[in-house]
Amino acid sequence: MKNRPPVWRIVLTTILIAVGVAILGFSTRVSQIDFIRLFRDAPKAKALVTSFLTPDLTTRDLQTTTIEMPFPIPCGSAPNGTPIKSGPRLSTSVPCAAAKDSFTLEGFNLAPNAQIAIRWNIPKKGKLTLPYVTTDASGHFSAQLDAKQIAVTVDGTSSSIQVDSLVPVGNLKVSQSVKDVLEAMFVTIFMALLSTTVATIIAIPLSFLAASNITRRGAVGTTAYYITRSFFNIIRSYDPLVMATVFAFWLGFGPFPGTLALTVVTTASLGKMFSEAVENIDPGPIEALQATGSNRLQTVVYSVVPQIVPDFVSYIIYHWDINVRISTVIGFVGGGGIGYYLSTQINSMIGYHKAGTAIWAIVAVVWAMDFLSAEVRKRLA
Amino acid sequence: MLRVQNLTKVYPNGTQALKNVSFEVKDGEFLVVIGLSGSGKSTLLRCINRLIDPTEGKIYWDDQDVTAASPAELLRIRRNIGMVFQQFNLVKRSSVMTNVLSGRLGYANPWLSLLGIWSPADRERALKALGRVGIADKANSRADALSGGQQQRVGIARALMQEPRIVLADEPVASLDPVLSHSILQYLEQLNKEGITVLCSLHFLDLVHRYATRVIALKDGLLVFEGLPDEINRAKFKEIYGEEAQEVRAASFEAPV
Ligand SMILES: Nc1ncnc2c1ncn2[C@@H]1O[C@H](COP(=O)(O)OP(=O)(O)O)[C@@H](O)[C@H]1O
Ligand SMILES: [Mg+2]
Repeated sequence: MKNRPPVWRIVLTTILIAVGVAILGFSTRVSQIDFIRLFRDAPKAKALVTSFLTPDLTTRDLQTTTIEMPFPIPCGSAPNGTPIKSGPRLSTSVPCAAAKDSFTLEGFNLAPNAQIAIRWNIPKKGKLTLPYVTTDASGHFSAQLDAKQIAVTVDGTSSSIQVDSLVPVGNLKVSQSVKDVLEAMFVTIFMALLSTTVATIIAIPLSFLAASNITRRGAVGTTAYYITRSFFNIIRSYDPLVMATVFAFWLGFGPFPGTLALTVVTTASLGKMFSEAVENIDPGPIEALQATGSNRLQTVVYSVVPQIVPDFVSYIIYHWDINVRISTVIGFVGGGGIGYYLSTQINSMIGYHKAGTAIWAIVAVVWAMDFLSAEVRKRLA
Repeated sequence: MLRVQNLTKVYPNGTQALKNVSFEVKDGEFLVVIGLSGSGKSTLLRCINRLIDPTEGKIYWDDQDVTAASPAELLRIRRNIGMVFQQFNLVKRSSVMTNVLSGRLGYANPWLSLLGIWSPADRERALKALGRVGIADKANSRADALSGGQQQRVGIARALMQEPRIVLADEPVASLDPVLSHSILQYLEQLNKEGITVLCSLHFLDLVHRYATRVIALKDGLLVFEGLPDEINRAKFKEIYGEEAQEVRAASFEAPV
């Protein structure tokens, strides 16, 4: 480099820069970067975020108060309703009407700011519910109604207009979606717990095989050491999501293949970490205990176990923690649990508030697990 | 009485750590092994309780052949031989109490001991052992919370739990400063006065003169000296330690401690 003429250096640098810019440009094209859309579609994002920020958490019981008033169609086909002068009451602009006429329905002294369901109560045919209206602060509402053909008097019995005011009563209760989210969350947490537990049980014996200070003796030991070690490294190079896809291809979607994939990946990862913990054992205490005349098992329990248990426990908790996150993502692609719930709500287009509930639950659980695992690991250090 | 006859150790990589070493340790002695690092002191001590299996030669413990002992017999022999290490060899994360109790494993009920269940008598014995080395108040501390000198005292208490007839001490003070060295060796001296035989390797000559009743010296795996501490004169000293003599405090000749 030093001896090259400066012209050469300039040309070389220019070519390098050009290649760099070309690569960047290409990357931008293939990832379909579109900044304009980022702004154009901002309102969509805003609606989404707003829904997420107002999760569906609580609900209240509704008390229904019903007032009914006969309304003959056409006029004279049945007796008109008797007008009431005070208290909660309904009144119509005409006492009766011909089919297809319009009229105004008003309500007075009803519950203030309440949801009002207006229904046609049609003899022998049942109820026809109209869009909801709301009363004002003084309990008044007014609505434009059509005298529907379907509501004509039959055999001298007229249809009546029924007004239900719905008043929330009692304390706030947790909403159905909170219950659903909790249930899905439990599925996710237990998926993570199960896969971590099974992985631990398999990883412990394997980790001793993959620990050079234990196994790497003689031809058999050395072979076992390299086989387990390679197994760990190969499996670990697959992302859990990729592994989940492989298992889903085999077993279909659902919590089972997800848990299985998580178990396999966790086994390899824990096995590797365990084996490193075993390799880092201080041999001094082992020697000291042998010298006291303790037997093999006593030596292991009193000198090896205390040295590895804190590390093992902290790795297990760490994996449980990340497995909760991973199983959320696996759930998202069909593996059940909270991830699946979230993806269903988002795809349904109307479940954004419920999705909000799920997102907050995930945030809470991930935070709690993070805190818990950090705390436990601090204690064990 | 411990008899070592024609002991030879060749490590798998071909290193000859001991070459035809023979000597005796009489009951009640404080026998010190000296020699440069790498001369074979640790190998020698570990051959005696067979933490390392010797390649050739015999070791007799009261006329019982240690080198020919079955695994079960070996455990019983080891029970009588306490050992103290340069690096203390405590389980750092365990409590001082657990470390001391583990010295009793050779006597304890195997199954109960695996569950961590100890008889009240053993617990009392452990507290007494800690009391003898002056750290009974540390029983519930974690071992690694103690200073180096205190950790070595735990090591001695652990060896005491074996009710040993002999204690092997492999450079017990090499990791400690001079003041602490004397304090630790005084505990060993105290045990020796109470009738426990001590076989101890040491590096510094002033300590040898102060504590040893008899000395043997190793050089490159060969036994090159056997005699009283006072017999190590300037010439012998040069012979054992060679050119590195200066580092091992030749000063102790000019001003003996
Ligand atoms: N496990 C081993 N494998 C091979 N060589 C060893 C081993 N342990 C010690 N040695 C060698 O044996 C010789 C004696 O070592 P050691 O007994 O530790 O001496 P010292 O305790 O006097 O320093 C040294 O040359 C050392 O390198
Ligand atoms: Mg040594």
